[in-house]
Amino acid sequence: MIVDIFNEIVSILSYVIPVMVALLIVSLGGLFSERSGVINIALEGIMVMGGFVGAMSMYLMLYIIGLPIQLAVFLAFIVGALVGAGFSFFHAFASVSMQSNQIISATALNLFATALGLFVARTFFGYRRINVDESYRFDVPFLSEIPILGDLLFKNAFLSTYIGIVLLIVVIVILYKTRFGLRLRSCGENPHAADSLGVDVGRMRYAGVMISGLLAGLGGVVFMIAFQNRFESDVRGFGFLALALLISGQWRPQRIFLISILFALMRVVASRGDSIMGLRALEVPTDFFRMLPYILTLVVLAFTSKHSRAPEAIGEPYDTGKR
Amino acid sequence: MKKVLIALLVFTMGFTLAACPEDEDVEIAMITDYGDIDDESFNQGTWEGIVEYAEEHGIEYGYYRPAEVSDAEYLASIDMAVEEGADIIITPGFLFEQAVWEAQYEYPDVKFVLLDGEPRETEESDPDVADNTVGVYYEEHESGFLAGYGAVREGLTDLGYMGGIAVPAVVDFGIGFIAGAYYAAAKEDAELNFPDDRYTFLGSFDPSDEYESQADGWYGGGTEVIFAAAGGAGTSIMSAAGANDAWMIGVDVDQSAESDTVLTSAMKDLAGSVQLILDEYYDDNFPGGETRHLGADQDGVGLPVEREDDIDPWRFETFTVEQYENIFDQIADGSVVVPDSYADLLDFIDENDLDAIDIEEDTVEP
Repeated sequence: MIVDIFNEIVSILSYVIPVMVALLIVSLGGLFSERSGVINIALEGIMVMGGFVGAMSMYLMLYIIGLPIQLAVFLAFIVGALVGAGFSFFHAFASVSMQSNQIISATALNLFATALGLFVARTFFGYRRINVDESYRFDVPFLSEIPILGDLLFKNAFLSTYIGIVLLIVVIVILYKTRFGLRLRSCGENPHAADSLGVDVGRMRYAGVMISGLLAGLGGVVFMIAFQNRFESDVRGFGFLALALLISGQWRPQRIFLISILFALMRVVASRGDSIMGLRALEVPTDFFRMLPYILTLVVLAFTSKHSRAPEAIGEPYDTGKR
Repeated sequence: MKKVLIALLVFTMGFTLAACPEDEDVEIAMITDYGDIDDESFNQGTWEGIVEYAEEHGIEYGYYRPAEVSDAEYLASIDMAVEEGADIIITPGFLFEQAVWEAQYEYPDVKFVLLDGEPRETEESDPDVADNTVGVYYEEHESGFLAGYGAVREGLTDLGYMGGIAVPAVVDFGIGFIAGAYYAAAKEDAELNFPDDRYTFLGSFDPSDEYESQADGWYGGGTEVIFAAAGGAGTSIMSAAGANDAWMIGVDVDQSAESDTVLTSAMKDLAGSVQLILDEYYDDNFPGGETRHLGADQDGVGLPVEREDDIDPWRFETFTVEQYENIFDQIADGSVVVPDSYADLLDFIDENDLDAIDIEEDTVEP
């Protein structure tokens, strides 16, 4: 009995963790941009772009060069991240240098990414998808031998899981323990004060947006690998979901982490509620489980939005003339 | 910055120009149904059949994608195809029934091939196939039957079914699958576990971690094989089957090369049947006015027994090719009549004195 329950938990976790990690990485991306004062609803488009170029490079590395899978995955992560950073440059240029409306320029990126992905995939591959269908899960050597913990965390895992955890720690350290983090946050709260103390607001915001592109592009590759095994010219609204997480996580990395666990858990319960031990015996209609994540989102937002702590200067182009 | 922008502009323009076909003339035209030519299902199967044939014979071909699913838009696409010189127009999907009915009289010199349906004036009226039109039906239920029969004869008794979207073809695959499974269970004297909550339509033909997780839950709960009549979503089921050392059954085409978890595939010969009709057309032998029912008797459906490369698609160990050919022949000569609706399924269970099924009508025909 205990063994059964343990196995059930292991197999549920093996789906919860990849979803959690993908959401977490992209949300943390959004965090950088928004804490610097630039709204970034282009996360979706940047993910598509990262996933798209990531998938192309995966295709190249796996089937033309013939690299081992995990190495190819790792390199694709880097490629996707760099592409994401490059692509988000346009958003930074429009919203920081040109002081344009941040929603509009981000929307443009969203529209452009999907269309370009579709178009290039069709041109080179004949179809709207790039197939890199491999099994990307692996057992971590040595660590997977540890009883219980090994089964829970190191068996049947994606490489992205560990990268995501490391990133979370790095992000917390950068934001709260470094000078750069403090300056970045101050640009999102009170850019004029920051400016008066000699912080280059424009540069900080460029950095915020492009780091967010870096993470969202990486997230796009993670999504492509862990969710569909191929590039599909879209990421199913995951970028927007990450944005919602960022807001319900109150722009704080620790809370974003907790909420991403909750969301991922709900998503898995929604899709396999009809199988989870005990729940199946209740004979609740499966539609009920499918509704759960959405109901939960509403509830969480209703409770958290009351104390919403958005960065003070978010969404406003920095204009030195205005005080 | 300016330079970057200009470079980008040139880059995109290069693509645009490269994508323009040099010659607008088409001879063979396909109009896509709901979905696109790369839906890994109906449209793609048809399209690949056309491409292969046309490339081989050096014929101009093209496809048209209606702006929306409506008779008016379908007709507009047909008009456009005819204007650009199409001689033969292939329309996959029963949704085209009314549009083709109108078009076949409007353009008597153009040939129409309607897959999965026959031209009708209204949804309820009797089929009316003009001399310049062919209707083609595939007996998906026979294909599903063979898959279900094989799985249970193999000794698998915990079954599941995941359809993509509940369109007629997908629904029929499932009904046949149930019938075949219970028919085999009686032969093997086995008791099946195929409950109502292990029979579902996913709502899409695309892969997703959600379907993988759902299938993983089913396998974890004891399901031994899942029949995935779900196009591209099948790859998600394959991943789950791989993680659980379990089986899945593919659909439409032989999917054995995609994964070791594919026990077999419930095939229907879309590409082959389209190519046959194209061949007949170019031999001045167009079977106008005919409606074809491609089932076991015409080799239009079946399970894969061998293939051209060195992969063995026959992954059954107990169920033999001989047994397969035996049941296939019985379907082909009509001694086993496979049901294609829930009502017929119940009759089939009754007549053959099989165990009662646990799956309800709403589940099978939503």
